[in-house]
Amino acid sequence: MSLQPIDADTAETLAGVVRLLRRAAELVWKTVDADGAGSPRQLLALGIDLAADEARNLLPDALATDGPVPVGHDPAGLLRSAEQLLRRMDTQRTGTALHVLWVRLADLVWEANTGVDT
Amino acid sequence: MSTPDRRSVGELLADSEALARETLLDATLEQAPAMVRSWNQLVGSAADLWAVLPSTAQNPSGSDLMERLRVIGESIGRSVTAGHWPGEGPAEQHLMEIAENLSRARHLVERPARNFQPTTPEKQPDIQGPSAQVMHTLYVAAHGTAVALNAYVADLKDRLEMGRRRRQLMAERPTALEIAEAQGVIARFGGFEQLAAAYLFGQPRISANPGLVRSAALATRLGSALAVWEIQAHRTMTAGPDPADLVRVARVQVLITTTTGILTEAAARNGHVDRDMIQQLGPALEANQVAWSRAAKRWGELTNPASRTDPALVAAASEVRAAIAATATNQAGWATPDQLASRVDLLAAVKSLHLSMVASVDIAHVVRDAAADHPGLSAPARMIGMRAQGEAEIAIEQGETGYEGVTWTTRRRIATNQLIPLPEPARRGLINLADDVIATTNHAVAAAAQLDPSDVRRPIRSGDGVHRGRSAESLQITTRPHDPAPKGPRR
Repeated sequence: MSLQPIDADTAETLAGVVRLLRRAAELVWKTVDADGAGSPRQLLALGIDLAADEARNLLPDALATDGPVPVGHDPAGLLRSAEQLLRRMDTQRTGTALHVLWVRLADLVWEANTGVDT
Repeated sequence: MSTPDRRSVGELLADSEALARETLLDATLEQAPAMVRSWNQLVGSAADLWAVLPSTAQNPSGSDLMERLRVIGESIGRSVTAGHWPGEGPAEQHLMEIAENLSRARHLVERPARNFQPTTPEKQPDIQGPSAQVMHTLYVAAHGTAVALNAYVADLKDRLEMGRRRRQLMAERPTALEIAEAQGVIARFGGFEQLAAAYLFGQPRISANPGLVRSAALATRLGSALAVWEIQAHRTMTAGPDPADLVRVARVQVLITTTTGILTEAAARNGHVDRDMIQQLGPALEANQVAWSRAAKRWGELTNPASRTDPALVAAASEVRAAIAATATNQAGWATPDQLASRVDLLAAVKSLHLSMVASVDIAHVVRDAAADHPGLSAPARMIGMRAQGEAEIAIEQGETGYEGVTWTTRRRIATNQLIPLPEPARRGLINLADDVIATTNHAVAAAAQLDPSDVRRPIRSGDGVHRGRSAESLQITTRPHDPAPKGPRR
């Protein structure tokens, strides 16, 4: 149910972005759980979840997003990798939805670096 | 041959309101199941009429609220259709007659304008507009239904107790499950009633002060985001949800609950809310966060790499997150009480969050329905095989013999981590977690009772201390809409 047709390379890259974001979200949720009820980091964790959802929804149903779990235990680093992957795709050319996703990821990188997750 | 109905819109609305009052005055335990069955149709008719009323076109927040009420009505209707208490059976005639009146009124409004005549002063001297009249009808009818339900539950409890004392056959006694299900329905009607009350008694005031307008705008953004979220959560969860949708619903509910605690605390420090209440509300909200978090994790076990979340749910969740971030955070985390007080109309924001908490009772019930009834639930074999085994062992320890010796998946499926239909014990575990969410939400709503925007509310009843038939509480709902303070009975 992607919003617009995307080529195979873009889809492959986007699947990698989904994996990076899911791994980053998993790590932040672990921190949230360790913090206990009321952790402010849940905002970042939910934001990453939602970005992963958006990326997943840009991909066709037929394309599998499973693959190797991204290496690394630093959510900010994983977010940066996802953002860089998208940036290389020239999102302004490839479509509005991808560009919106890139902007969202840039915001999340900023949040992860400057916000409560530092 | 029946005579044609020549009543005007005003007369139809006045008759509907009178019927709702009769429903309340005459509420008996025998009517309760039929009233629940009729509810979806009544609310649907009211919402359809609401959509065409000229007086609601200028009031988007009222339309949001009516949409929230519509989805609650629909979810109650779906529960009944799915076989949950009270199950299929006859409808209640008063409520069906109101539904017919409202449908007829909608047809008249949609026809040329001469048919739309405001209620005459003689017939209805104290209603400010048709929209308030429709909402008041729903409010009174919801309360009447809650009164009947409370009587019904009290009767079930009495019969159960008597059956135990007389050693009646189990088959002849009411079941604890029926009591629990009816109590759950009471809580859903309680939430419905409070949302309607928020419209009737809690209309925000408009300020000319730019600073106040800014702080009100943040509170309004938060309130709108929460309203859209509730509606979308209902829609997604009743349309064959993916487990990923349920994870997202639960995570957002945790965030809303956390924010409720932070803003309520700030409101208490600034004298808007009784400090004593925080002593009870804080732990109740924390328990509710823990319950939603557990549910999120458990639903997360059912997701797989191909899972996707409903795009409309993602959009609604993103707006809730953005509104909460703008309202309640700074770069270091949650904003301080002083920052919050200078940034947002605390009382308005807290009331929006409280309303959301009230509405989340129904969201919790819809999550439970998904756990109990969703036919397409499947999960990766490795994780869910272990989970099913764990839940089965707990059930066996509690005396359940049906799970003994049962294998929940195969080696081959585990080796390939194939998606398998959700085994019964794993489903039971999800239902139990949803029950915890429902119980903790009800507790939090009760602890926050005094925050009700109507100023005439009472806590949601959990089923204890119930009344038979007409209730003394019912006197409390006779307030005129938009009056600054209750003035007395209006039945």
